[in-house]
Amino acid sequence: MKKMIVILSLLFLAACQVESKETTASDSEEIKVENQDEEIILKNAPERAISLNQHVTEIMLALGLEDRMVGTAYLDDAIHPDFKDAYEKVPVLAEQYPSQENILAEEPDFIYGGWESAFQNEAAGSRKELEQFGIASYLHESSNKKNPQLEDIFQDIENIGKIFQEEDAAETLINEMQSKVQEIKKNIPDTEKKEVFVYDSGDSAPLTAGQNFLNTLIEIGGAENIFGDLNKGWATVSWEEVAEADPDEIIIIDYGDTSVEDKKTFLNNHSVMKELKAVKEEDFTVIPLSEASEGIRAPEALEKIVDGIY
Amino acid sequence: MKHKYLVPIPFLFAGLTAFLFLSFFASLMLGSASVPVNDVFGVLWKAAAGYSPADMTTYDHIVWSLRIPRTILALTVGAGLAIVGVAIQALVKNPLADPYILGVSSGASVGATLVILAGAFSFFGTYAVSGAAFLGALLTVVTVYILAQNRFKISVSRLLLSGVAVSMMLSALTSFLVMMNPREEGIQTALYWMLGSLSGAAFDELWLPVAVVALGYCFLHQSFRSLNVLVTDDATAQSLGLNIESFKAVIIIITALITGVLVAFSGAIGFVGLMIPHMARIIVGADHRVLLPASAMLGAVFMVLADIAARMLVAPEELPIGIVTAICGGPFFIWLLRRSNYVV
Repeated sequence: MKKMIVILSLLFLAACQVESKETTASDSEEIKVENQDEEIILKNAPERAISLNQHVTEIMLALGLEDRMVGTAYLDDAIHPDFKDAYEKVPVLAEQYPSQENILAEEPDFIYGGWESAFQNEAAGSRKELEQFGIASYLHESSNKKNPQLEDIFQDIENIGKIFQEEDAAETLINEMQSKVQEIKKNIPDTEKKEVFVYDSGDSAPLTAGQNFLNTLIEIGGAENIFGDLNKGWATVSWEEVAEADPDEIIIIDYGDTSVEDKKTFLNNHSVMKELKAVKEEDFTVIPLSEASEGIRAPEALEKIVDGIY
Repeated sequence: MKHKYLVPIPFLFAGLTAFLFLSFFASLMLGSASVPVNDVFGVLWKAAAGYSPADMTTYDHIVWSLRIPRTILALTVGAGLAIVGVAIQALVKNPLADPYILGVSSGASVGATLVILAGAFSFFGTYAVSGAAFLGALLTVVTVYILAQNRFKISVSRLLLSGVAVSMMLSALTSFLVMMNPREEGIQTALYWMLGSLSGAAFDELWLPVAVVALGYCFLHQSFRSLNVLVTDDATAQSLGLNIESFKAVIIIITALITGVLVAFSGAIGFVGLMIPHMARIIVGADHRVLLPASAMLGAVFMVLADIAARMLVAPEELPIGIVTAICGGPFFIWLLRRSNYVV
């Protein structure tokens, strides 16, 4: 078996070399994009793409690529209303991650994963393995690094634009997002920095945002996350620390089975939290989880944060 | 040692072999993607004729590159865990013993979680998770062994107790790693790993678990007499001329190596190593000459069937196989237990 693989791969390598010579001779219109320290090289823009995770699906749709998608999977909540029609044109492969078999059966040529888990064995499989099947892949870089900035999202959008040879659409989208952000920034009053506590979930101890994208948005919004100095994305902290910081505003993240009302009721009844000024004055801002992801919804989330705080 | 066989032994093994082949082909044909039967056999034909993977269609790839390797891994892991279970149960003379009793799975879990959640051991490259899991497993067994021995004599109860104690500490460490990284992307991956999964199987790595299980089987089978003696009390064993201390040490090393390799490839799949030896004993009795091959085959068949279920039950998504082995195997085992008058 091993011998056969070696021989086969040698043959394959030889075949590749011949091909690459040909292309350099005619014209070198290869698509090259840097992703996770590796270069993706494509001869043609993908025609049969699959997107995994909501925020990258929305980026694909915002670039108008729905006709070049053969599948999508894993929404956190409802798709952005602007892209509902486009979304319905694309087959949904599974509620969460489809198995590798199902993905291969669609004969994709490109897979765009939002989170690293999209490329786990139980989902699409490792990117290296996909390469062996002749499938290119891109991992949304801004979702997989510490302390992502708006620029990182723009870089991802630009890369996807390049890969699909839709650079203009990508530039338009980036400019649009940028001008929205500038517009919102004008509404930030020049007052003292407000302090914000992000409440994700948890009753005995709260799960909150450290240095993730929500923290970046809070900073752009001219406020300060009371746990912004924690050197990780999400962290479980204690109610004591929250009480000590006594934030001006509480951002509640909306997702899953616990409703926002339940979370508010919980805070209002918690023996320590109910004494905080933000809770007493009901200074709550609700952000759906999908808006806290590194995608096209960033300006909308920012607007809610700024409106909520000031 | 005399056992009244439900079926004559040759028939039993013929039946098990037939089952093995049936489940093997079923595993190639069933999965979340529906591959036409023609393609399933077509790919075997093409492989025999020396086709290159580059010429393969999508369906060929699904069968050749996904289903065949994972079916072979399922057979290997099932057989391997079952024979290790037999040997460990003989070693500690305790019906509750399984391949993980000496802390292999908890040690491996710490290694794997460290890689998945904290990005440790990156110098192993793509083998980081398997490598760290294997290292964690071996280090744990060595620790347990050292704790359990007293002037090179192994006391079984000390072995069991130190195994449990070390396992507890390591499980706490794994929980700690998970708790410190809430929401971290790797949590799901780590959970999948701990419950066990065969979906990572790939042809170019299969030789290692297959070789380890095959060699381990050969060793255990050729020492079936010693295993038969081991289940009696130590004094009898010694009077029958078995150097019991060194045999115990060898069994511990061999089973730790097999389990360590299997856990590195498939995660900590539960139930199989505990229950399959009992099932086999109910059917063929306690003579290791028959018990070992019967357990190996039962384990292999069971694991392949469980993997089919893991792929099919929530298709198009996939379940960790450890959930299937326990949920489907548990009731079957209880049924078998109630029907027979089996006492260990």
